[in-house]
Amino acid sequence: MATLTDPSGIAGTVKPRIVRQYNFAQTMPALVLILVFFVLPVFALLLRSVLEPQPGFGNYAELLGSTTYLKIFLNTFVVSALVTAVSLAIGFPVAWALAIMPSRLSSVVFAILLLSMWTNLLTRTYAWMVLLQRTGVINKSLMGLGLIDEPLPLVNNLVGVTIGMTYIMLPFIILPLYGVIRRIDPAILQAAALCGATRWQALTRILIPLAAPGMVSGALMVFVMSLGYFVTPALLGGTANMMLAELIAQFVQSLVNWGMGGAAALVLLVVTLTLYALQLRLFGPARMGGR
Amino acid sequence: MTEPFLQIRGLRKDYGIVTAVSDVNITVERGEFMTFLGPSGSGKSTTLYILAGFENPTAGDILLNGESLISTPSHKRNIGMVFQRYTLFPHLSVGENIAFPLKVRRWGKAAIDAKVKQMLGLVRLEGFEDRKPAQMSGGQQQRVALARALAYDPPVLLMDEPLSALDKKLREEIQHEIRRIHQETEVTILYVTHDQEEALRLSDRIAVFSKGVIDQIGTGPELYANPSNRFVASFIGDSDFVTCKIISMRDGRAALSIGSGPVIHGVPVHGKNVEGGMAALMLRPERLSLSRAAVGEGAFGLSAKVTDITFLGSNIHVAALAPSGETLSVRLPFGHEAAAGLSRGDTIFLGFDPESAHVFCG
Repeated sequence: MATLTDPSGIAGTVKPRIVRQYNFAQTMPALVLILVFFVLPVFALLLRSVLEPQPGFGNYAELLGSTTYLKIFLNTFVVSALVTAVSLAIGFPVAWALAIMPSRLSSVVFAILLLSMWTNLLTRTYAWMVLLQRTGVINKSLMGLGLIDEPLPLVNNLVGVTIGMTYIMLPFIILPLYGVIRRIDPAILQAAALCGATRWQALTRILIPLAAPGMVSGALMVFVMSLGYFVTPALLGGTANMMLAELIAQFVQSLVNWGMGGAAALVLLVVTLTLYALQLRLFGPARMGGR
Repeated sequence: MTEPFLQIRGLRKDYGIVTAVSDVNITVERGEFMTFLGPSGSGKSTTLYILAGFENPTAGDILLNGESLISTPSHKRNIGMVFQRYTLFPHLSVGENIAFPLKVRRWGKAAIDAKVKQMLGLVRLEGFEDRKPAQMSGGQQQRVALARALAYDPPVLLMDEPLSALDKKLREEIQHEIRRIHQETEVTILYVTHDQEEALRLSDRIAVFSKGVIDQIGTGPELYANPSNRFVASFIGDSDFVTCKIISMRDGRAALSIGSGPVIHGVPVHGKNVEGGMAALMLRPERLSLSRAAVGEGAFGLSAKVTDITFLGSNIHVAALAPSGETLSVRLPFGHEAAAGLSRGDTIFLGFDPESAHVFCG
């Protein structure tokens, strides 16, 4: 490490290591609870994916070999990526505004954000349905203004899913981004301006790189949550763009095919863990200390 | 007559009903080191921020080589600045930080590399270009900030209390560096500080700010020898204030008396005419003479009782209480005969040359 070879000797202080006492005894009840009600069921489900209807990887072969299912996988990724991109595009300016606005105003905006988060998910999704449907408020006002002649197809398609899910995901991207942006000293941006950087250069070369860890963790959270989302795609999406969670629900509820359901769940889990590992590698704690 | 290099004319900044600065008029010569000195809230930083383009003035103008800067945004002013806080870009290395202003100016790679090398040499941080700011001490970071601010050869460098976060020893070390860099680059520097010692050490001229206006502009010795008001007198150097009675005022000189003492003629006077009224007489501690007897030259009946004697190495500091209740301090060089055998509770008599004193009226 550079700290050991620092010729000035200024950075050479060694922090005392905090030794944690690992004592599992008191946490046993909680661990047992998690094991019995969380870990075991997941394993049981995953086990069924290789045991039912007969032992082997038949379920996986069917799942990954069929274009119908692959289209659903692809659609799941497309919707999740779209929701993540739109959430970032809206969330970044909002987080930036929250970070620089007076605290009295920002607490009002936070209250609105949290209030929407605490409102029931179904209520919010049905609200979007009412707003977006053919005879909904949005189409009616646009037609009333004479901007369109025919109602726009805003629901039961990709547009509806993206709008509905972005709305739900926004707080999850704004909160981590706000935390990161708030820690950036505004004087750093003033320094960039005096160095000759235009607003755009200050944004792309200073602000976004400094906010990148927050952007990545927020985006990953939204992407992963979107991958497994069920309610909003089921209500606002159409049959043409089914998502993975809907497929799993169909396997389990309608077709009572636990083997295929488990296989689809494992694919989702593997993708999620891979993305998480990638984030840890790129922006994990080990990378933050510099060289 | 040639156009002045930098002119600040009638600058004023209001925040709602609060006036941060008003009536600021300064002319700075090319290559000059000008310091804005004043307590916090005196408007010195506001003036600097208007120069940087972070604030718009309510009224007034700034002319650089005769051209107004007011409508030019910060990033087009081509001015350098070192901030009070550490403002190096934390995700860039030292070399990349210094290269940043050159990259946004679209310099070629070879030119950038050469300039970065030259700037690192200027601030004596050769070999540090791959360090990240977090791996450097505060003093080193401010030196890199200085290198970054000077890399594009700005005509003017602004410095906003750049050393206030550093400890005293490091501060003095970097003050020397700043002096050397000023001499080497001949850049015009506008420097903000609340530290009078720092201002005296660095500056060609000092503008003393108080309550949003400039009280006085001058070289350090000028401000020390001829302060225009009580605030400047108390802010630059140490000073004693004694209440006196003005007997007459004429041609900038006053005749006055202290308590029931004799009339003292020819003391420089500032402020409005208050003949017959009271005023504040300012004395410099090192210009006071101290005697144990009430008689002799320069004895103006200013008697006092010694309350404290402090040995400060090269000089001795005597604190004394005047009959009026005012505390006076006297500074004597080490080994001065008047200090020999002096002890707490002794009565002493103080004298001074009228030319070295000042009276502030109103």
